[in-house]
Amino acid sequence: MFPATWSRLSRMALSSRGRRTLSLFSSSAPSNWSKAVADAEKIVGYPTSFMSLRCLLSDELSNVAIQVKRLVGTQHPLLHTARDFVFDSGNNLPTRGLIVLLLSKAAGPSHTASDLLAQDTVSGIHTSQRNLAEITELIHTAFLVHRGIVDLKEWTVSDGPLKDMEFGNKIAVLSGDFLLANACTGLAQLNNTKVVELISSAIGDVVQGIYNENTSNTEQENSLDVEAWEEHTFLSHGALLAKSCQAAMELAQHDKEAQRLAYTFGKHLSMGHRLNSDLLPFVKSSAGESATFSFSAAPVVFHRQIVGQERWSQQLQQVKTRRNELDYSKLLAAVKSEKGVSTAMDLCCYHGNKALEAIQAFPSSEARSALENIASAITKF
Amino acid sequence: MACPLLRQCSKWNANCSSLFETLWYSNGRSVSFSTSSLGRTSWSSGPGNEGQPSALRRRTGPNTFNFTTSLTKHKPRLLDPSLKSCFCINSAHTDVKVQDPFTIAQKDLTNLYDDIRKELFVTKELKALCHYYFDGKGKAIRPMIVVLMARALNSHSNRSGELLPGQRAVAMITEMIHTASLVHDDVIDGSNKRRGKGTINELWGEKKAILAGDFILSVASITMARIGNNTVVKVFSQVIEDLVRGEFMQLGSKENENERFKHYLEKTFKKTASLIANSCKAVCVLVSSDPKVHEIAYQYGKNVGIAFQLVDDVLDFTSGANHLGKPSAADLKLGLATGPVLFACQQFPELHSMIMRRFSSKGDVDRAWQYVFQSDGVEQTKNLAQHYCQEAIRQISMLRPSAERDALIRLTEMVLTRDK
Repeated sequence: MFPATWSRLSRMALSSRGRRTLSLFSSSAPSNWSKAVADAEKIVGYPTSFMSLRCLLSDELSNVAIQVKRLVGTQHPLLHTARDFVFDSGNNLPTRGLIVLLLSKAAGPSHTASDLLAQDTVSGIHTSQRNLAEITELIHTAFLVHRGIVDLKEWTVSDGPLKDMEFGNKIAVLSGDFLLANACTGLAQLNNTKVVELISSAIGDVVQGIYNENTSNTEQENSLDVEAWEEHTFLSHGALLAKSCQAAMELAQHDKEAQRLAYTFGKHLSMGHRLNSDLLPFVKSSAGESATFSFSAAPVVFHRQIVGQERWSQQLQQVKTRRNELDYSKLLAAVKSEKGVSTAMDLCCYHGNKALEAIQAFPSSEARSALENIASAITKF
Repeated sequence: MACPLLRQCSKWNANCSSLFETLWYSNGRSVSFSTSSLGRTSWSSGPGNEGQPSALRRRTGPNTFNFTTSLTKHKPRLLDPSLKSCFCINSAHTDVKVQDPFTIAQKDLTNLYDDIRKELFVTKELKALCHYYFDGKGKAIRPMIVVLMARALNSHSNRSGELLPGQRAVAMITEMIHTASLVHDDVIDGSNKRRGKGTINELWGEKKAILAGDFILSVASITMARIGNNTVVKVFSQVIEDLVRGEFMQLGSKENENERFKHYLEKTFKKTASLIANSCKAVCVLVSSDPKVHEIAYQYGKNVGIAFQLVDDVLDFTSGANHLGKPSAADLKLGLATGPVLFACQQFPELHSMIMRRFSSKGDVDRAWQYVFQSDGVEQTKNLAQHYCQEAIRQISMLRPSAERDALIRLTEMVLTRDK
């Protein structure tokens, strides 16, 4: 296990060289993520398909909206999902769809595509690619909802009445299924079985990723190593965007190489983004709340690898309060004092640069610069 | 006693191609018809009702009514001479001896579960969850219908030899989608037992159960994409949409009696029949480009599917505990009013308020159970199922004769007489 881990870590060290090349593409890079996203939204125009609107206005979901009220006052996660949906928490990647659209535009028309296909574009993006972007969002949202299912055997009185938790689960299962069913219908209408296969396999990846989260997230001394962390993170956070980007190329009949580049871009961008958000509690001086401490966050996983299991156990012992609970702000400080954070930062830059590298093969354009801005934004703290 | 609905149906059926729509509409009519004029008198004079209803209604204890007498009274009527003759006429189309559908389908189904497990390639614990229901102990009635239909259609299109690989894949996809929906349904209903063993949510918790269902669905979706036929993908996406919408429909109930029955049949179609109908259509699309043949396959699946669920709803009342692998009256306990209750409500309007509060008050389930057995509810639901089967036979008989076609005809009879 260890040799593999170290080869991975040394590859990260290499990436710090890549960081310097960043300035080449980001001379006018906005300093923060949201500006990069806001600027990019203007480039793709507005989505012309009404798939998500149709979903929101459907009888099924408007019923759900009414039902969710019943959960107010309980601890059911569906409530938080619904709240995050309305008040976007800013640091999420609300923009999987947007990235698919930008990449579609940046790749431009395919040389092999028929004239008929070329006619079907709005601001340089095919209708089918716009639909794909929405499908990507639908799938992502469906799993946000399904992530929030509660194991009823772990129910405690403080969660609110058991009946309401059961009800919350019911609504979460149904609304997640509803979003997935709409994604399936949208996929079928793309009339491309290669894309159906690709996106279906991405759904399978996301499921496996979330399943892994469930089995390894709870234990304090879980055995996740860097290798496994990257694998799990790719499944839960990278596969959907990577495969959607690839599928967008397939829809415009771009060749295998363009598809590979798109996949690479999507993969590294989402990995970089995940590392960036994992790092935030460690680099922001204000964020020291225990709620933000996660044992599966990249800096913690890397820290454990660097200091070794024995030292890590000692550190866990040292930050225990008299009531034998963990003092998370002390634990955070312990992790910060070692190399775990800087290693995660290096890895974040590595992924950011790999993403930038991947899109250099596409012709220079407004859409490509927007993607470059987004990719550089994830390497800024 | 002839059920008024029955007469109504056969009358309408003569000049309408789709029994589903006919029943849908005529049923709405018959409900008002029977409640206004025939409904009350029919039960008091009906031979299926032991004792006087007025006397029965005074009894309140759960053990006063003799269920078994009521059941034995119902059973012979299901196999009444008119039904038997109906089957005779149909088998007379061909001189081939009608074989048991299970035997005929066997060769195409032997490795079905092994193949499904191979498709569900995943590591570690998730694998155990995903393989849990593909243990070969299910009835596999859906894949059986699919392979019989595929072979019947291949014969019809003058294509001899083996099942097409895509058709075989459709049979697997059908069982996978069915299983994925069961896994989610068990979480929604909070069930802890299925097919005589603990449900996935009972053993591994709700979180993992939902993910297992999602995973099975994603693999089904990959498998269908690999068939490489866009129409097949569209046909199945309709199924998935119907399954979810059907589940949503089950959350709500209708105040108006006619609307309630329509709602029930529509829910039954979406939750059960759509999968069978569209799977039949999918195997058809792979061998024939004739929309008329697609429609025959679809209509057969739809009608058999609805009949199958109606019988299931009857068995929820008549089958003893654990016979179906789940406790009886499970639907009532979930607050669901199925065919037998809806028919019973025509004779015992007292049921109306119980239906509206989803049998949530103390004693509702027991009282509703009693009303159902005092009424013709079970019998009328069976009659309705029988009519759907007759329409299925009418549809499938339009195909050229073949052993598989006749097995599909025979299968409708088995759907009606099954007791588990």
